[in-house]
Amino acid sequence: MELSLDQEQQQIIDAIDRIVERAGGTAHHLAVVAGGGFDTALYDELTQAGFLGLALDLSPLEATLAAERLAYLGAYLPFPATALVYPMVTGRGADGPVALAPVQDGAVFRYGAQATHILVDGGEEALLLGPVEGDVLPVDNDNAGTPLSRLAPGAIGRAKALGAGSGDRLRQWWRIAIAAEAAGTVRGALKLTARYLSDRIQFGRPLATFQTLQHRMSHIAVQGEGAYWLAMQAAARPDNPADAAIAATRAIMAARLAFRETHQMHGAMGFTREYPLHLFSMKLPALQQELGGGTAHARAATQLRWAA
Amino acid sequence: MDFSWSEDDVAYRREVRSFLAEHLPEGWNGYDKTDLLEYKRQAKAFCTALADRGWLTQNWPKEYGGGDASPWRAAILSEELWPIGEPRGSQYMNANWVGPAIMFAGTPEQKAYHIGRMSRGDVFWCQGFSEPDAGSDLPALRTRAVRDGDDYVINGSKIWTSHVGIADYIFLLVRTDPEAAKREGISILLFPIDTPGLQIRHIDGFVGEQAFHHLIFEDVRVPVSCRLGEENRGWPIVQRALSFERIGAAHYETARLILNDAVAKAKANGRIDDPEVQTRIGEATALIEAARLLTYKVVDLRAAGSPPTADSNLARVAQTTALQEAGMLAADIYGNASLEAGNDADIRNVLAYSVAAGATEMQLDQIASRWLELPRSK
Repeated sequence: MELSLDQEQQQIIDAIDRIVERAGGTAHHLAVVAGGGFDTALYDELTQAGFLGLALDLSPLEATLAAERLAYLGAYLPFPATALVYPMVTGRGADGPVALAPVQDGAVFRYGAQATHILVDGGEEALLLGPVEGDVLPVDNDNAGTPLSRLAPGAIGRAKALGAGSGDRLRQWWRIAIAAEAAGTVRGALKLTARYLSDRIQFGRPLATFQTLQHRMSHIAVQGEGAYWLAMQAAARPDNPADAAIAATRAIMAARLAFRETHQMHGAMGFTREYPLHLFSMKLPALQQELGGGTAHARAATQLRWAA
Repeated sequence: MDFSWSEDDVAYRREVRSFLAEHLPEGWNGYDKTDLLEYKRQAKAFCTALADRGWLTQNWPKEYGGGDASPWRAAILSEELWPIGEPRGSQYMNANWVGPAIMFAGTPEQKAYHIGRMSRGDVFWCQGFSEPDAGSDLPALRTRAVRDGDDYVINGSKIWTSHVGIADYIFLLVRTDPEAAKREGISILLFPIDTPGLQIRHIDGFVGEQAFHHLIFEDVRVPVSCRLGEENRGWPIVQRALSFERIGAAHYETARLILNDAVAKAKANGRIDDPEVQTRIGEATALIEAARLLTYKVVDLRAAGSPPTADSNLARVAQTTALQEAGMLAADIYGNASLEAGNDADIRNVLAYSVAAGATEMQLDQIASRWLELPRSK
């Protein structure tokens, strides 16, 4: 048991921080979201720097750490699907952005229109679709960020089945990806909110000095940190598939709380496009829907952990 | 980052389990505390056996009769002992924080006197912290100790004190300077519980036998040599001690056992097929496992020699939340049967843990100031 980052892991985190900072930080992320929600420049830079190969070159834990960090920094790109889920399901690195989709007709998912590969939860088997024109239909959404789409009728028919066991494998790594992205997003939203509450003066003192707000913030911290560690454990112990469902369950519980609470504590400022809270908060509703959402993760955790 | 147990740790856990099979009756789940003498005799026998095995204070330095063992071993021992009813009695506190506090701040004489007794398993301690008017606001404590030559004379009272019925010594917080700022006039005194002038009243409660006592001090005279640390400088020692106490008990393992039994019951009575029950079991599982990892983070920091951090506050909140959720869920799964004597203990007992060792609200305060670095409340 050793729960600190090793030197290599710390270097990965530091390098991601530098790359994101160089890209322009928060101002850049705001521009990305305003422009459709896919940071192609950051995606290209991470690709060239080798970050998309972390899962196979080092281990899935390093890819999960990177995914969590990018979410923590407010970056918008399908890194978890591309750098973690795809390689762990297919055994090879992705040569373009990857999206993760449910099999149900008409179901909405993230980054479909930008993806060169779409992994579909086909039940027993995972399905892999290299979409051609018309396979992916854009979905209008006004939720301040993540690009959404759905598969066109018949598109699934062109997908290739990945063999026995691939369905479980996809759901396991997808849940770890959800947990990492949600944990990072919750922690990022918390950090931003802590700064806001410390700076914002009302009633003659910083809002952060009100104990009622402090305690609510502390609850988010407990939930976000728990989700972080569960995500990392799930990535480090892939032989325990229950870990992934447990991590996703905790992360989505944390996401529900952080989504509501960080907005409430920001007041009107949080609903503007010029202030960066939505970089974090508006990622959460889509994450909360993936793979059936928190209820499905919790039931999977029960079935996998308790053989129920 | 490595989430696997070392081979040594795995072997150690196995050894602990076979030790327990050898020293406790099958299915043992706590002492009968109605006969205090017998309870103390059994707990002492267990602790002596644990000491003979080198495990009672294994996490202490060798020079103090410990084994210089990794904090992970103490954590494993706690995981194995706490959820089944803590066969060490209150001696778990000796190992976790009373002994370390004396090693940290004690005089050579205090160390020579107390440490060996603790590492052999000979003595039980209780902590005299809370008072009728100083609960969560512990630094507001008013029990006075006044210097009189080479003695202190103590007057005042302590309340909610646990483990008094079997205690040999008390770790007492007193005010030695009523004029100083709250945290700067507190001292610590260590002395036998049967010192003249100390009256003990048992308070009947419903969260376990022997949980509460009221201690009344009337001109209790103890030598100045009983003081731990400098006069009026006791508070930092207490803070340090409490940071160990917060995660000294593996509540997440208790929660796991409660949930384990509840799931077995749900499978037997068919409630496991209810999607809502499945969801709640999954959520409770996630709370428990998150609490486990947040606790492991604290153990890991301790293993690395880090000073106490707010990680212990995060872990404590996560632990008590998980424990209470497991208790409430178990009650719902048992249904009406949860109201019957014998089945209702889990629900009642889990309530107390968010009050003991620093109420949840105090932990949240600490997380806000030390983890989130928010400015303090006015």
